[in-house]
Formats: sequence, structure tokens, C-alpha cells
Amino acid sequence: MNEITDAYCTPGVERETRLTPMDLLQCMDEAGIHRAVIAPEDREIAVHNISGNNRILEISRKAQGRFIPACTVNPWFGAAACQELRRAVEAGAKMAVLAPALQGFCFGDELLDGLLDTAAELRVPVYVHTGPHSFGAPTQLIVAAAECPAVRFILGHCGSTDFARDMPDAIRLASENVWFEVSLLDPWAAAQYAKAGNRQKVLFGSSAPRSNPAFELRSLMSMLPAQDYPDVYGGNLAALIAEVRS
Amino acid sequence: MIVDCHTHWGPSFKTRYGLDPAPWLDGELRHGVTHAVVAPLLGLHDDTLLPQENDDIAAVCAASGGCMIPFCAVNPYRRDTTAAEFRRCVEGLKMRGLKIHPWVQGASLFGDSIDELCEMAAHWRVPLLFHDGTPSYSLPSQIALLARRHPDATMILGHCGLYEHWREAIAAMRYAENLWGCLCGPHLGALRELVRRCDRQRLVWGTDYGASGTDVVGHFWRLFKLLPLTDREFEQITLHNPRRLLGAALAC
Repeated sequence: MNEITDAYCTPGVERETRLTPMDLLQCMDEAGIHRAVIAPEDREIAVHNISGNNRILEISRKAQGRFIPACTVNPWFGAAACQELRRAVEAGAKMAVLAPALQGFCFGDELLDGLLDTAAELRVPVYVHTGPHSFGAPTQLIVAAAECPAVRFILGHCGSTDFARDMPDAIRLASENVWFEVSLLDPWAAAQYAKAGNRQKVLFGSSAPRSNPAFELRSLMSMLPAQDYPDVYGGNLAALIAEVRS
Repeated sequence: MIVDCHTHWGPSFKTRYGLDPAPWLDGELRHGVTHAVVAPLLGLHDDTLLPQENDDIAAVCAASGGCMIPFCAVNPYRRDTTAAEFRRCVEGLKMRGLKIHPWVQGASLFGDSIDELCEMAAHWRVPLLFHDGTPSYSLPSQIALLARRHPDATMILGHCGLYEHWREAIAAMRYAENLWGCLCGPHLGALRELVRRCDRQRLVWGTDYGASGTDVVGHFWRLFKLLPLTDREFEQITLHNPRRLLGAALAC
């Protein structure tokens, strides 16, 4: 059986993302997940980018290859954000995380220009949390991605919960540089997206500890068997991060 | 007895099975869920369908042996007809609550029409079940202010704020003592905080069954059972609280 990779987890220390790296590994073992992308938690995404990135890089270094580090930068830090993205990727980060609602910006804002240029240069995929209405609608990212074909975007959570009606057309009309991560999404919707001809663009994720990895994995696998869709459960993500220029 | 406090009667059931409650109930019973609050679905989008959908739900619930508790829906925006339809549903059809979906119905919670509905609901002692978690008409805080304006009415946040507004839902329930929360929609991390920080006497559980997908009841029941609650606490949320909320409607 192919290895299963979880495209998004948050081993944090506060609020609803309290989860030690050891506990995450235990959850992964119980679920049958081999590797997981780990990302900074909310406060680190909003303001403490550098310390958050360092924390995640350090956790990953100790995990003997089971964690894939993601980094974050807040676009409001301008040139310093570009510099930090470059530093984190050189240190091993394989994904950049943006959370428009948490970081206080909207896609389409020129604030992002330099940062997206840097991401394109480094070939680091940009994971975007979607779901919040004014600052995280999937359509906002679809439109922005069309203007930035050199940047590879991951549309996190597929707009859960309120954008289910948007998603089929959003996926159909999305440019080639958009992938779709399905954590916290109803499993029947995720399966539908993968079966509708988009399997090469769909990424399994759990958003642990906001959800339970075994619950997310079993729910999706009951509708989208891993043996039939190994790309969704790790292959697509592996291909994405293989291009990162660290 | 386990009560699902947030479901819908979808048109696909009527098309296939008429007004026979058995196939609909099977979707609940196969997971051990014995009772459900049932509200309209399509009529929330197209209010011309509402009188018929209210009639259908009253009929299908009446045939369910008390397992399905009928909630009606009216469009608060239609000031000329909404109070009369609510009265017809409660006094004539014996429906036991009112569902309002301000986001989909395009109805602000700040106006005379909604106030009249709240006063009627308080008079009949039937709860109002709201969609919540969605700007710009369905924020938990907006419903909390409505609840404060109508302290004699019992109101329910149908989704406890979903993914983005669950913290606001916790604050809303603290702000208004007549506001309850239905654990239906938030992710596991949010559910953990909701059961930890809210008054558990005002929490119930639901699935949105009938509105989407296959076997949603099983999915959301398994998610709910991941919460760090004792058997007694689960029973409080799935049985004792619904009994207090629904009163005689759940007497069986």
C-alpha cells in the first residue's frame, strides 16, 4: 500500500490547536498515516512568524522524516516577509501558509505582490485557508490564482462550511496552478471533487487537532479508497513539494 | 432515546416515498437516533413552496408515532402573510417550533416582522431554530441580540457558529440566557471548546440530515462521540436537554 500523507496539521501549544508532536505521531500511527505536513499555529501565523517557523522546523528535524515543515509569513510585514519566506524555505520548509482572515488581508490586494513573486521563485506551494466570507472565499483565490500562474496555490478546506455551492464551478474554472485540500470538508463532497476528474488536484488533509486524523481519513477512505486514489492520499502532495527550491 | 435537534425534510424523500416517514427515519434509526426535529428545506429558498412543505412535514411527522417533531418555516420578509402562516402551522397543524434561515431567506433579524414572530413563539412556548454562523444576516451575535429583545422566547443557534463563528456563539450564549446551541456543524476542535465553555444545560446535538449527502447522521454521530464527555454528559445533550427544550412534543 502506498504511504499516506496528511497535508495539514498544527502541533500547537494553545487554544484549540494544543497538540504535542508526540501525540500527533501517535494519532498518525493509529490512523495509518506515514507523514504529515505541520504548520505554525494561529498566533504564529498572525504575528510571530519567525518564532513559529523556527518551532516547526525544529519539530520536523527531530521527527526522522515523518513531518514536513510548512512556514508562514504575514504579508503586512512587506519585504521582511519575503526575506523570512526565503529563510524558512532554505531551512527546509516545503509549504507557505497564508490565512487571509487571520492575517488581515484579502486576495487581490497589492500587499501580496512581492510575497507571491518570492513564492513563485522558490516554487514553494502556498496553502491558503479558505472558509471565512470576506477574507477567505474560494472564489477570491481562484481569481487571484489566474493572475499569478507561476505560483502554485493550495485551496485549504475547499471553502468549508458555506461555499459548497461555489466549489464545483470553482474547481472547474480554476487555473492549472490550484490544488484542493479537503480537511474539515464533508467526505462525500471531497470524494465528489476527486471523482469528477480532478483527482490529480485533490489532497487529503486532517487539520489535526481541529479534527481527528483517523476520523478524517476513515471518513474519506469509505468513499474514496486509498488503493484506488493513492495520488489523493499523498502522491499529489509529494509531486507538489518535490519542486521546492530550498 | 437519542434526539437529533436539527434536520430537514428534503424533497427527494417526498418524490420517492410520498409522506411515508419510514425511509426517512431509517437514516436516523440505523445509527440509534430515535427522534428528530424536522424542518422544511426547499421552502427556505423559495417561500412559495412553504405552505405545502409545512403541510407535508406536519403530515409525515404525524405518521411517525412521535419520532419526528415538526417545525414549520415562514419567511419573515413577507410581513403580510408570515404571522398568519405561523399561526396556521402551530394552532392548526400542531407544529412545535419555527425554523428561520436569515441568510438564505434574506431576512434581517432587526425589524418588526421578526419581533412579531418571536412574540407569537413565546406565547405558544415553541422554540425558534435559527441557521447561524454566516454573515451578514446569521451571526450568533445578531441572534443573541434578538434573544435579549425577546427574553420570553427560546431560541436555538442551529450550528453554534459553524467553523468561523463558534467563539462568537459561546459569547452569544453567555450573553442571552434564553439562547441555546445545537452542536451541528463546527469542527471537532470547536466542539470541544463549546462543550467545555458553554452552559451544558443549553446544548443539544444535530446533523442537518435531509439537507445534504448520504449517511450524514452516522458521520456526525461518530464525530460527536469523539468528544471527551461521560456517558451521562452525552445523555444530557442528546436526551435530557431536548426534553426540556421541546417539552410535551417529546413526550413519547
